[in-house]
Amino acid sequence: MHGRKAYELVKEFASGEKGHLKIFNNELFERVIEECNEHHNALQSLIRKMQEEGLEVQTAKNADHYGALIHHLSLIRNKRCLMAYVYNRAEIIRDLAWKVGLLHELPCEIQEKFSDSEEQYFKDHSKSLKLYMSQLSLDVNVDLVPPKDPYIKVRVLEDLGSGIILSDKSANFARHSMHFLKRTDAEQYIARGLMEELTG
Amino acid sequence: MASSAGEWSAEQIDDYEALISTTDVELLKKAWRNEKASPEILPFEEALVKRAKEQIQLMEETVDDFEESGHDPLIVSLYQMDLDRVQFLLRSYLRVRLQKIEKFMFYIWKTDTYRNRLSIEEEKFTERCIRDMGKHLEETVLSKMPDNYQSVLKQSVISEEDDMVASRKPCFNASLFLKDHVQYIWGYDLQNMRGKFPEPQLDTFVVAKCERTTRPLYLDGSRQSAGFDSRQVAIRTLFTV
Repeated sequence: MHGRKAYELVKEFASGEKGHLKIFNNELFERVIEECNEHHNALQSLIRKMQEEGLEVQTAKNADHYGALIHHLSLIRNKRCLMAYVYNRAEIIRDLAWKVGLLHELPCEIQEKFSDSEEQYFKDHSKSLKLYMSQLSLDVNVDLVPPKDPYIKVRVLEDLGSGIILSDKSANFARHSMHFLKRTDAEQYIARGLMEELTG
Repeated sequence: MASSAGEWSAEQIDDYEALISTTDVELLKKAWRNEKASPEILPFEEALVKRAKEQIQLMEETVDDFEESGHDPLIVSLYQMDLDRVQFLLRSYLRVRLQKIEKFMFYIWKTDTYRNRLSIEEEKFTERCIRDMGKHLEETVLSKMPDNYQSVLKQSVISEEDDMVASRKPCFNASLFLKDHVQYIWGYDLQNMRGKFPEPQLDTFVVAKCERTTRPLYLDGSRQSAGFDSRQVAIRTLFTV
């Protein structure tokens, strides 16, 4: 009661590694929402009681008034904690959309940590970004680091199949093969962990 | 213009710098730096972005022609390198703006000054961001809250202003990076004193912590922000930091 569960929720989020999501804690979330409703019911019954006694709710400074105030404050604190939890997770989801590539399938381990609404948010946000980029006809999510070399050496980590068409040639990406690719082409594969850059 | 072999006279340096500073690449660099350093979103450089895109396209065609005609591969890769770097600048500029929008979407939408600084595409993007975020918050939290507590921006119906986390604004009490084109020191006009006065480094990056909130500063002499004298900045950067 009184924000303790909500505090646990926020603490769980804050204690995680920065930029990494834990699985959406549905159970705790639901409990906090139940608490909100309890607070609300208590608040309303106190207000009704004051009104029955013929007292002005805003100004009569008796025990009921303060009781109602405490319920109200606990309620909005719970609301703030819940909103902060969801909002900050959404921020991390947006970062993932930037890094991992839009509308590509996220790896399983990450996907299972989303709640249903978060999955939908990820898709919606990816769509917005894609729409913006197509309006400008410019890809904004490549080139995330300043370019040092136009071509880089990469090693393929997963079997990606043959005949993949890149901007200047087509290549056969068998596992463990090494290629000399244009940086802009390789970036999306590197970001998804399918290739690694060889800097040696 | 007399100049000893290999050395440039001061006038030649001036001309060169004057020429360089007006190229689109320099302007793009400046816009990119300003955008990266400022916590709020700055006015969109529409004409500059348009010109940059056209020039990039021209360069791409040139590079493709060179490759096909079997031009010296070293030259081709140099052109390609230059092209990549300009593309990076442009993309990073747009990216930084988009990320600011994502961070402060509600605040930007509400405040007219910032809203007017967005490009048309950015406006549409902001709208969609707000719609997506609003929908997400509604579904997960707000629809389950009791009545009177269901607003995204206000904690409850009795809040007097938008006090929820989603409507926060950018923090202005932060350290600034200033690239200072020092024109004045102690009232001496450096242009006239060239050669007679030990010249300060004209390209100094300085970190200055502001004592009060500031507006974005354009310290290139062309656009001065009201109430912030460049002389104050010069003294402050050279003698305080």
